[in-house]
Amino acid sequence: MVHKVLSEQGAGGITTTAIRIRESGIERRARFRGLAEPLSLLVALAVLIGVFSLLNERFLTASNIQNVLTQSAIPLIVAVGATLVILLGSIDLSVEGVMGATGMTWILLSNNSRGGADLGPWAWVIALGVALLLGVASGLIFTALKVPSFIVTLGMWYVGLGIATMLYGTDLLPRLEDEGLKGWTSRISLGLPNSFWVALLVIGLGILVLRNTRIGRVTLAIGNSETIVRSAGLPAFPVKVAVFAIAAVLSGLGGILATVQLDIGSPTVGSGVLFIVIPAVVIGGTHLGGGKGGILRTVLGVFLLTILNNGLILSGVESSYQSAVTGAILVAAIVFAAWSQRDRLRVAK
Amino acid sequence: MSDVTTTPAVLHLNNVSKSFGSNRAVRGVSLSIQPGEVIGLIGENGAGKSTLLKILSGNYRHDEGTIAVNGREVQFRGPADALRAGIGVVHQEQSLFTNLTIAENIEVNTPIGRGGVNRLGLYNWRRLYADAAQALDLIGSHLNPKTRVSDLSFVDRQMVEIARAIRVSAASHTTPLVILDEPTAILERTETAILEREISKLRDIGSVIFVSHRLDEVMRICDRVVVMRDGELIADRAVDDVTEEELFRLMVGRETHAAVRSRRSIDPANSPVISIHDLTRAGSYADVSIDAYPGRILAILGTSGSGRESVARAIFGAEGFDSGSVSIAGYSGRQLSIKKAVALGVGYVPAERKTEGMVGEMPADQNITLTHPGSAALGPFELPRRRLSLARAWFEKLDIRPREPEHMLQDFSGGNQQKVVLAKWLNSSHLKALVLDHPLRGLDPGAAETVNAQIRSVCDEGTAIILIPDTIDEALDIADDIVVMRDGRISGVFDLGHDNPATLDLLERML
Repeated sequence: MVHKVLSEQGAGGITTTAIRIRESGIERRARFRGLAEPLSLLVALAVLIGVFSLLNERFLTASNIQNVLTQSAIPLIVAVGATLVILLGSIDLSVEGVMGATGMTWILLSNNSRGGADLGPWAWVIALGVALLLGVASGLIFTALKVPSFIVTLGMWYVGLGIATMLYGTDLLPRLEDEGLKGWTSRISLGLPNSFWVALLVIGLGILVLRNTRIGRVTLAIGNSETIVRSAGLPAFPVKVAVFAIAAVLSGLGGILATVQLDIGSPTVGSGVLFIVIPAVVIGGTHLGGGKGGILRTVLGVFLLTILNNGLILSGVESSYQSAVTGAILVAAIVFAAWSQRDRLRVAK
Repeated sequence: MSDVTTTPAVLHLNNVSKSFGSNRAVRGVSLSIQPGEVIGLIGENGAGKSTLLKILSGNYRHDEGTIAVNGREVQFRGPADALRAGIGVVHQEQSLFTNLTIAENIEVNTPIGRGGVNRLGLYNWRRLYADAAQALDLIGSHLNPKTRVSDLSFVDRQMVEIARAIRVSAASHTTPLVILDEPTAILERTETAILEREISKLRDIGSVIFVSHRLDEVMRICDRVVVMRDGELIADRAVDDVTEEELFRLMVGRETHAAVRSRRSIDPANSPVISIHDLTRAGSYADVSIDAYPGRILAILGTSGSGRESVARAIFGAEGFDSGSVSIAGYSGRQLSIKKAVALGVGYVPAERKTEGMVGEMPADQNITLTHPGSAALGPFELPRRRLSLARAWFEKLDIRPREPEHMLQDFSGGNQQKVVLAKWLNSSHLKALVLDHPLRGLDPGAAETVNAQIRSVCDEGTAIILIPDTIDEALDIADDIVVMRDGRISGVFDLGHDNPATLDLLERML
């Protein structure tokens, strides 16, 4: 009897009104959240720029801005891949190893001081092929053997470094001889450094993949719940391998550009990149647990860290203090970034 | 089905069996469902319902027997096959990607090249949103397909799941069979009413198998009820020919204990164990004052937006509050921490049992001594043998089965897990109050009854109990006091010792 009354009410007024109120609430909340998070990052970025330009008048000059853009290009490229991996809920620590192996392969197959083969564009193909192989290997071991990605890619880091060291051998450092390529990364075209144009292209492609392809959407779904992905019959396995492969190829591309920038081939060409990339993704607001976040936020994170570095140098912070200062600011930034998600019963691991 | 019908049965099972090792989970089940029929499937946990559903959803392969969909025999190799055949399952645990939009969740199973995803794997968002809106329209929902699932209430999520379940068959032009696996288990009463309306709409476009523990709902919604026990299908009745009591008996194998609690009014000589005064948390609840007395069960009723869960969590120190006070056994602090609450003798059985109430990968006996080691402890050390005998005693007292406290807690059934969680608090030497947040959620009627019996006996020993019940009936069945909340404020207080509110009175104050 009671239930009859209830369903009659349900058919008519009360419940429908309740639904309408709730639905309008949902939309309001969604709109607010869409704005709030990137906004705080933009504010932080603006504050940082403001402070540094007050501290030093050289900070806001065209040449320094181009400098910052060149510095951010390689981390940006690598961070696009890292964001995809972290959206899966995994992590890729092999970045620096892959950069070393790819950069070394590339320079030895290009016009360099050691002579040997100059394969021109094929050098790029083969070098990125090495990166692809390393990425597929990480992905397969991680996915098929169900080993934590943290350990697999930590190992792959050293495999990459090992390959690079082997290629390097005991000979002199291979020096880039191609005059057209020397200094290409920081050369300006249409107002922006070349390497930054490459980064923009990669960011654009990354956003496209994440927003508009099956790989990107399934990546987000896996980050939310892999169990559901599998029970829905979605391709979890291939997507996971593909994401690791994409990340490695982007690391490889970063490795080649870093080699061009450095003019010489070195196994440790990627040194320090991981320390910018992973924090940048986290500061950007992508959850380490996967499923939430995005590439544009990561871009903001990379800018934040690069500007921080650049500004500290310009402001004359002594280089011996530099890494301690950057580290401390990083920890503070991450605490700040995670502040909105804190909750009494939230568990951090 | 032997009768001659022009349209073939939507689903026809013939002698389907499935074993895991020596355990025959499903034995020789035969069942036929006609288009437009709503079938209720009931049975205790472990009766084989879930296994049967997993066979139908393509997650398990049956060992024996045949399955025919729309007159054609089928072999499901995976979940995707079942979906293509038009069988959509709305799982007990929600299976939506909460970080994605409604549209993507609905379209996620549409084969590539058919819907908003082209053959290259590229998404056409406009098409995706339009298709999803169409699927939602079919079941009469007006949710915006661009909304993210994490922003939806549970009942809306169920709508999305139903839309997804019918979406695939709509795309392949087959009659859908929607399987709803305990869709109402976590819904509030008002939300259940919405869902019931939706199910009756589904009748027009396909058939439904409705799995539920709530017999009254089954009676109301379904045309026919089938009962499973010990892996077998033991009864198949038209709803008009059966009563709730009979269904309970068929399902559990024994009669209901209609033990009505004898109630007294609050004894003015007693002082409350927990007393909250003008408790307020912005955006959640305001000016809430509640007194909980020893030996009494106080139930807080309310819909999902009422803030009652937050109040309960504030009492245990798991959530903060902005103003007001909580005093426990005379102690009164501005902000309460969980640690303080536990030290004062409060226990909390959370609604999220699996994530907040228990450590699944730990043996049951260790779960029991986790918070209050009691006699198992010797100084800072815990003695495994004493712990085991202590756990054995609790297993005996609370009738936890199987009597193997050394097994991982996750291997026990839901009802038995819940009793272990209770035992964890009962093991305290100074337990004064228990806060129970949906203690019967997801339990079958048999298990719910034994848990309820335990709650009663704990209460009779002098513990104050604050209960957030799933249903009004649960509150009327067990509580001594009922507080009703609406939109974060108290809208009614009843002492069942002298008040006798009808279900409708309570409902009116909730809505």
